[in-house]
Amino acid sequence: MSTVNTTGPASGPNPSPGNSPQTGRRMSNRRRRQISLGLQAGVFVLAIVILVAVMDWPTLGQSVFNFAEIGPLFPDIILVGLGNTLLYTASSFVVGLLGGTLLALMRLSSFPPYRWLATAYIELFRGLPALLVFIAFGYGVPFAFGVQWPIPLVVMVSLGMVSSAYIAETLRAGLQAVPKGQAEAARSLGMPAWRAMVTIVIPQAFRLVLPPLTNEVILLTKDSSLVYVLGLAAYEYELTKFGRDGITALDAGLTPVLVAGVMYLIITVPLSLLARKFESRTNRTRV
Amino acid sequence: MTETTSHASAIRAGGVAITGLHKSYGSNEVLKGIDLTVAPGEVVCLIGPSGSGKSTLLRCVNLLETPNQGTVAVSGFDATDPEVDLNAMRRHVGMVFQQFNLFPHLSVLENCTVAQVKVLRRAKAEAAGVARENLRRVGLDGFEDRYPDQLSGGQQQRVAIARALSMDPQLMLFDEPTSALDPETVGEVLSVMRGLAGAGMTMLVVTHEMGFAREVADRVVFMDGGVVVEEGPAEQVIGSPTQPRTQDFLRRVLNPTDVEL
Repeated sequence: MSTVNTTGPASGPNPSPGNSPQTGRRMSNRRRRQISLGLQAGVFVLAIVILVAVMDWPTLGQSVFNFAEIGPLFPDIILVGLGNTLLYTASSFVVGLLGGTLLALMRLSSFPPYRWLATAYIELFRGLPALLVFIAFGYGVPFAFGVQWPIPLVVMVSLGMVSSAYIAETLRAGLQAVPKGQAEAARSLGMPAWRAMVTIVIPQAFRLVLPPLTNEVILLTKDSSLVYVLGLAAYEYELTKFGRDGITALDAGLTPVLVAGVMYLIITVPLSLLARKFESRTNRTRV
Repeated sequence: MTETTSHASAIRAGGVAITGLHKSYGSNEVLKGIDLTVAPGEVVCLIGPSGSGKSTLLRCVNLLETPNQGTVAVSGFDATDPEVDLNAMRRHVGMVFQQFNLFPHLSVLENCTVAQVKVLRRAKAEAAGVARENLRRVGLDGFEDRYPDQLSGGQQQRVAIARALSMDPQLMLFDEPTSALDPETVGEVLSVMRGLAGAGMTMLVVTHEMGFAREVADRVVFMDGGVVVEEGPAEQVIGSPTQPRTQDFLRRVLNPTDVEL
């Protein structure tokens, strides 16, 4: 330890080896790395020890990991909660994908008004909080126009419209990343522009954007929790609502929220791994 | 209108007639009035330094580039008539690109069938039959289920030729088909092209392969600076060029080690 410090104070924050040639020569880079690693490990172990010592374990067991009390959550948190979260995510992704594809094509159209329209839409919905869109469609529209529409539809439309703006930008990048020669080869075979787009360019663009699209699904899964602000019937509850209600209904502190969180991770972690897999595959096969 | 129509109809299947062709990108004039004809069954090689406009000229033949001025008649179509059905015309004109441009998400067989099915409305089985025959023709039978990224450059280019041939074209355009290839695979592509020429295909080829041009071309056209500088039988243009620019270019291409700075 003391050998390291000899150079430190003398040369300030950026010690140069020239200042103390002897220590510099005696201490190899390898030795230096070992000391640095040992220091980091020491700090880590110390932090854990302090944490374990100061924690109030009985209270923690009572209010965070109280799995004895959460029986009433099941099976509804899975059958209804997880089911609805999946349904809300999937339905809004379908809307987002269709809308996003349309917007991306409009954004690349040679007819300027299409481009303006798509740009305006994308900027609008990327700039607004999803929560505000939920409130607009869930409370605002029924209140203003007197229409009552089912919550799943509200989620599908609100989340779908928001995600279509993000998906459009992702897809546009993908479409532009397909080499120009692909469309030219298709056109030279007599394909009309739309056919070249549908059969040759779009499938390749989708392959390129598979990783970011998967990430978009992860975001949607999490954002579907925003529906919690709307008044929900019991059969419309999703994971977050179950977690929230569990806090007051069961005397188990944070535990219901923890359970809901684990359910989200059951969806999102595999998706994240999938995205990583797509990514390595794309990297491998692209020219 | 009557004049261009009769001009176009005078061009039989596969023939090309280009008159007074101009093409600019902004203020950069790439083609400065080109006249060129290709008779049905003829093999014409376009040679010249890079930037001379050869590729642009070739791409104007199937209207991948839109000419600013002049007429292009191809295989009975008046290609520069605004009313012409370009997709119908392109069905008769095969094109092979320097970078192959195979469809990477489709198998070799699908590369050769997709346009037959979607454009010519052939039944899948019929299209597959035509594709297999053309793959055999380019020496790639047994490669039907591979994907482009599993093939060498030479193999990819031969698939690209089979893909174009599967549309039963009357004219084939080649845009520097061997320039992106590893030297050891150039020969296989040239040999396929030689076979095509021997079978009577009408071909317009942009190339730097002087040996190929000399051996296979009926006519060689030397371009420089957006104009045709010299044209004539291959033996004459490559063997004993009359224009100083042609002589200079050929000296550099044929004896690259002798070039002095």
